[in-house]
Amino acid sequence: MTGLRGAVVGFGKLGLLHAGLANGLPNSRLAAVVESSAVIQRVVRQYFPDVNVFSRVEELIEARQSDYVIVATPTGSHVSIAEKLVEASIPVLIEKPLSLNAQEAQPLVAALNRNWVPNMVGYMGRYIDTFHKAAQLLHRSVLGKIQMVRSSMYVEQLLKPGEGWRYDPATSGGGVLITQNSHVIDKLLWMFGDITGVLGNTSQLVSRLVEDHVHAYLEFSSGAVGFIDASWSARHFRTPTISIHAQGTNGTLDVDDDEVRLFLDNSIGETSSGWTTWRKPDLYRPVPLDIGGTQYTLQMIDFLEAVTNRSDLDSNVASGLKTQLVIDAVYESARQGGTRVDVGTLVS
Amino acid sequence: MTEVVLPRIVLGHNAFFGVDHLSSQRGAERAAYFSDVANVMTVIASAVDSGAGGLMLSTHPRAVSICEALRVDTFLGSNLEVFPLLPYAQKYVTRANELGLVRVVTQTLAAASTRDKVGLGLDFARTIYRRDPLDMVRALMRLELRMFRKLNVSTVFLHDAIAALNLPEVFSLYESTLRRRFGTAAGIATKNLSLLVRRFQEWGMELPVVLTHVNKVGFHVNPSQEEYEKALAHPELAVMAMGTLASGYLNPEEAYSYVNAFSSVKSIVVGASSTAHMRATFGSITASKT
Repeated sequence: MTGLRGAVVGFGKLGLLHAGLANGLPNSRLAAVVESSAVIQRVVRQYFPDVNVFSRVEELIEARQSDYVIVATPTGSHVSIAEKLVEASIPVLIEKPLSLNAQEAQPLVAALNRNWVPNMVGYMGRYIDTFHKAAQLLHRSVLGKIQMVRSSMYVEQLLKPGEGWRYDPATSGGGVLITQNSHVIDKLLWMFGDITGVLGNTSQLVSRLVEDHVHAYLEFSSGAVGFIDASWSARHFRTPTISIHAQGTNGTLDVDDDEVRLFLDNSIGETSSGWTTWRKPDLYRPVPLDIGGTQYTLQMIDFLEAVTNRSDLDSNVASGLKTQLVIDAVYESARQGGTRVDVGTLVS
Repeated sequence: MTEVVLPRIVLGHNAFFGVDHLSSQRGAERAAYFSDVANVMTVIASAVDSGAGGLMLSTHPRAVSICEALRVDTFLGSNLEVFPLLPYAQKYVTRANELGLVRVVTQTLAAASTRDKVGLGLDFARTIYRRDPLDMVRALMRLELRMFRKLNVSTVFLHDAIAALNLPEVFSLYESTLRRRFGTAAGIATKNLSLLVRRFQEWGMELPVVLTHVNKVGFHVNPSQEEYEKALAHPELAVMAMGTLASGYLNPEEAYSYVNAFSSVKSIVVGASSTAHMRATFGSITASKT
């Protein structure tokens, strides 16, 4: 068998998805799985006899059987696992969010400074066709100077207290802000540049230990301002639903999972003035294998290419750290009763 | 070749459960309207009246009351074939976020009502204790299919992960469980049609009925329009086409003149939420077939 040898650490829902892609895409195969659950170990051994199964990441590294590793464990263990892989010079794709907080990610940042390898943080939302299109337009500065950004993320996930690691801040880092809403912050940074200051408020609608709703005012280094509103206890949202609206000196842009709507005062290049709408079927990019949505496949293709070429990626530990810094600042502001907090001054 | 005769027009379930691949907001509004099962039954009755012979139904929690209403309505119950789609993935995805996959499965089995356990004659406690994955799959299937009892079911569709993950043993288990326990054929839903056809050939297994997107703009079609049209031409393939209007992006006339050109397409799933919409859409299917 040829191709890059991949390994997946943490064989839950996302681990299974990544494993399927690692095994199904051209130029890659699944060589190993690291998983502590005996049941899952047995399932993998039974159905994937060519795949090695380990209980600990150290055993995987010692076996020297992987050209890249995907870390899909609960958030609290991302850094320690990824740090070991980087030290062993193995490229890593780490599921989002990067870490419990920015400070906690420091050893991984230091390890990459000492020994750089291709690294990615799995903000797959960047690969959803509509957001991909919106970012392309924004990176071409079609809106002129950005003045204002509104964003939201809603999902009906939790209408009574939840159980499991996601609702324990020690392993998850927090509630909706760091879980699904980290996707929104990643997208805002990617589309509109650095965020320098925030005012945040979090509230518990049903949970005891983590926030179910967050609202934050954002100041961008470009001078733009905006806000995020997010809840995982929002009725009528079957799946996580992200919307972003931006207004610039030359028009407006609205993007969600369904479409991109652009309004321009003046044409920019081939993009004409007035309203233009792109719907999902307009933007669909086929993939060799779709398991849980094309965004996961497109992300994996980019990652495999970076592993092959030893090149850097847009969504990497550095960008993931910026997202953590904004999240930390919102939490800090909320703790202080909503006062303004600088982003990035919380970590030395 | 799978000897299953499929109704030409099958009513889709997406509107009933708030799934809308073009607009999440429209989806949420429809979910609210169809939370009243009487509204669902009105649409189903009118679909049958307009020429639909089948109903696609995923194992969404709300499907339970739709099935109950169909059992009561003997006319619909006997004139409509129900096509279960297993599992309603979002149900498990949301819960797996909390509990992890293994606990979702064990809790689902443990939470089955006593009546279900007795009725199914399953030793759930043993299944959970032994944690044998095949036992679990069998037990889950039986639990998920329980809601369809006494309805007119000839084919059950399974979500695609099996072919995507290259797991012929799991498909065999699924197929044999359906055949032996339920007397139905096994179908498979996929967004990777050409891969699926290739995999079944490699496995030396007979192609199941396939539920897949067929539309001329290539929405949810992989890995390319050309490859997938080649797969659609496979002589032993029986397809139930979905996504034919590309979520409302195409008009029915252009959509169905494309779809009807493939002889492998035996059946078409059409989502509809009003009688007028259904008459128009169903009419275009029949008109472009001539």
